[in-house]
Amino acid sequence: MEIMIAAVMIGLMLALLAGGVWIGLALMAIGILGMLGFTPRAPGDGMAVAIWSHGSSWTLTALPLFLWMGEILFRTKLSEDMFKGLSPWLERLPGRLLHTNIIGCTLFAAVSGSSAATCATIGKIALPELERRGYPESMALGTLAGAGTLGLLIPPSIIMIVYGVAADVSISKLFIGGVLPGILLATLFMGWVVVWSLMNPGKIPAADLKTTFVEKLAASKNLIPVILLIGGVLGSIYSGIATATEAAAIGVIGSLIIAASQRTLNRKSFFGALMGATRLYCMIALILAGSAFLTLAMGYIGLPRHLAEWIGALGLSPAMLLVALAIFYILLGCFLDGISIVVLTMAVLMPTIQSAGIDPLWFGIFVVVVVEMAQVTPPVGFNLFVLQGLTGRDMTVIARYALPYFLLMVVAVVLLYTFPGLVTWLPGHMIG
Amino acid sequence: MRALLDSLYRLSGVLAAVGMVATLVLVASGVLARPLGIYLPGTDDYAGYAMAACGFFALAYTFKHGEHIRVSLLLERVGPRMRAALEWFSLAAGTAVAAMLAFYAVRMVLQSHEFEEISQGVDATPLWIPQLSMAFGSVVLLIALIDDLVMTTLGRAPARLATHSGEAARME
Amino acid sequence: QTTWDMPTPYPASNFHTENIQQFAKEVDAATGGKLKITVHANGSLFKANEIKRAVQSGQAQIGELIISGLANEDALYALDTVPFLATSYADSKKLWQASKDAVEARLAKNGLKVLYSVAWPPQGLYSMAELKTIGDLKGMKIRSYSPTVARMIELMGGQPVTVQAADLTQALSTGVVSANLTSSATGYDTKSWEQLSHYYDIQAWLPKNIVFVSKKAFDALDQPARDALLKAAAAAEERGWKVSEEKTAWYIDQLKANKMKVQPAPEALQAELLKVGEKMTAEWVEKAGPDGQAILDAYRKLK
Ligand code: NA
Ligand code: NA
Repeated sequence: MEIMIAAVMIGLMLALLAGGVWIGLALMAIGILGMLGFTPRAPGDGMAVAIWSHGSSWTLTALPLFLWMGEILFRTKLSEDMFKGLSPWLERLPGRLLHTNIIGCTLFAAVSGSSAATCATIGKIALPELERRGYPESMALGTLAGAGTLGLLIPPSIIMIVYGVAADVSISKLFIGGVLPGILLATLFMGWVVVWSLMNPGKIPAADLKTTFVEKLAASKNLIPVILLIGGVLGSIYSGIATATEAAAIGVIGSLIIAASQRTLNRKSFFGALMGATRLYCMIALILAGSAFLTLAMGYIGLPRHLAEWIGALGLSPAMLLVALAIFYILLGCFLDGISIVVLTMAVLMPTIQSAGIDPLWFGIFVVVVVEMAQVTPPVGFNLFVLQGLTGRDMTVIARYALPYFLLMVVAVVLLYTFPGLVTWLPGHMIG
Repeated sequence: MRALLDSLYRLSGVLAAVGMVATLVLVASGVLARPLGIYLPGTDDYAGYAMAACGFFALAYTFKHGEHIRVSLLLERVGPRMRAALEWFSLAAGTAVAAMLAFYAVRMVLQSHEFEEISQGVDATPLWIPQLSMAFGSVVLLIALIDDLVMTTLGRAPARLATHSGEAARME
Repeated sequence: QTTWDMPTPYPASNFHTENIQQFAKEVDAATGGKLKITVHANGSLFKANEIKRAVQSGQAQIGELIISGLANEDALYALDTVPFLATSYADSKKLWQASKDAVEARLAKNGLKVLYSVAWPPQGLYSMAELKTIGDLKGMKIRSYSPTVARMIELMGGQPVTVQAADLTQALSTGVVSANLTSSATGYDTKSWEQLSHYYDIQAWLPKNIVFVSKKAFDALDQPARDALLKAAAAAEERGWKVSEEKTAWYIDQLKANKMKVQPAPEALQAELLKVGEKMTAEWVEKAGPDGQAILDAYRKLK
């Protein structure tokens, strides 16, 4: 029965999406049809309430603000300056400026709790400059899609808060537990860029002129605005001036100040940024709305819950259980967003996890990494949507570019399983 | 008629932008108020409503800019007749869903009014007021979809508010 | 066979949720599987603030909520969070007896029927600093999450600061707020000892949850099923209060075990706090009118 329901819904979704129905509306259609077909409940009123409540939820307010910040910075000289400052330092490293995507996302992840905001902000800043310099599209978009997911793993992180509440695990410990795995993933991504660049020597544009150390230092003064901005936003969180959500507002105001000081702030650029951010947010909001309703429909139908119960009842060994759960989450992640997956399955799975003797803190980081994969798997992958919105390239193409980074996340999960200390050592020492 | 519809879409875009600015002001107010010892009750709830207004009002405006995304893989690979059929199908399906959304969004506002639903937060707002943005936004989205569906059925190209702006970060 | 969807706000491991799971099991057994209740815990179907509406409009048939969540609708719902009015389990039960009919009548207007109510452990004050008198609270940034709490903080001389649950951990560790009013249960669940050092067991109030059902769904049941439901509800109420009280002691032990300085409020502080409580009781009566006064009188008679 469950398999039949799943097959029908997946089939319908693929048909609607392939037919060109707008993604958010297609998700709503699946929710409506699923509830009509497989539950005794009427879908309409629940749909409106779920969409309203998700769309007006305070937790989301950082997202539109970070998108706006990206649109403002895109209209300044900040990215040009940033690349001028960084390129002398990166000229010897294979892959050169592609690494700015990964480093940029890693730094920004320390400010933003969402993957979409990380991917959109860094993408808006870095993509035009990478394109202008002739970097291959597959690598520019792939690194962004992959590294953007670090927004979930490096604190602050919305999904860790959701997991912490659902699974009764310390949110502080989860936050700190995400740091080393986050750095591990960023390192794996950079390693892949190095390997790819060595394998494809002609494809990475040549370095700017060779520079001496003094010249490198001189070029670094171009980095001052971006360092001030990142430092200001991060500093506001860790000094207690702002909460993680308010930091997004500080980011917008900071970018306006940078734009004003560079004399790129005028009527046209201000309204261009504002309307651009409004449309980009609306594009994401429509998909989030569809996804919020699909989550409600899934709650009624009980599909994820029943599958999780089924896995729990198999009586697998801890290792096999984790393999089964990884596959289960990766499959769910193709169709639902990360937070929905956690909310819909955690109540059922937690007893299984505990009785298998798996550390709930470690499992939280495992879940976050697996949910990161969901951001880049089609058909429902938010980083793919963001990048399609930014570049106009079809998400199926972007998904192909992101595949190596998906596989690297699988490698990271295996490494975390082999060396659980990567997760548990730091929280154990910092909080006890 | 065209001019009237286009101004409706533009108006909803302007309202959405006001929502975005209001979100910024409300979220930022917390940072300024705390060190001054001022207690601003309910600003985070209002920020949520302002953000909702931004997202919902902009629905049609974004649609008419062609910026709501969809999978174009198949659309781009088929012949012109099949493509026209798919375009019509996606608009018809989209219109059906948008009609359902608009109907129930309006009904939600009416129900909130009838139930005298009040926000449970510190703001204590009667919920039908902020929910108007969702009702208005989804009705205008429905109008925009019907607009395009009619044009496509008549064999004409749907009107767009703007072509892809040259300043967007496009890789093509 | 009838299937009900039951959205609830709290995680699966919370004692209210565990009690509800048990209640659902008993209903299933007592009706011979004719009435099945699917519990959707932790806001997984509808979030805390949508649950009443969901049941009211027929999207769910039964649900759970914290009564004071409805305080904006009617002052009556704020009664169990008036500080220092009922500070023990015994008093809290009496307060529920005194106000039960009014709450039932008020919810019946929305087509809802109360099945049972269970209290949370008493609210205490978590702080970074040691507190001796109310003067130590002057200007202190304290987390506020409801109008009642904000007013209480103001009267205590502190500065109410709105911090959403999602931001709380970080806000406490970076000093955006340096004190928090909540129960020993929530303090344990959120592992307060990681950010805060002192717990003052001031026993400000015991908030209550209610489990309620749509009148329409209830009336659609046959008589044996209705009886089974009410019987299971009565059992759940009794079990819930007992577990809540037992858990309070356990939670406090856990706070101690995690090296929090747990203590009753110093006498000078408690005396000042009681004054705050009296003022807020008077303010509540002003809002709730003669009906409120009548409930208060009935409660004082029971005491
Ligand atoms: Na983050
Ligand atoms: Na996905």
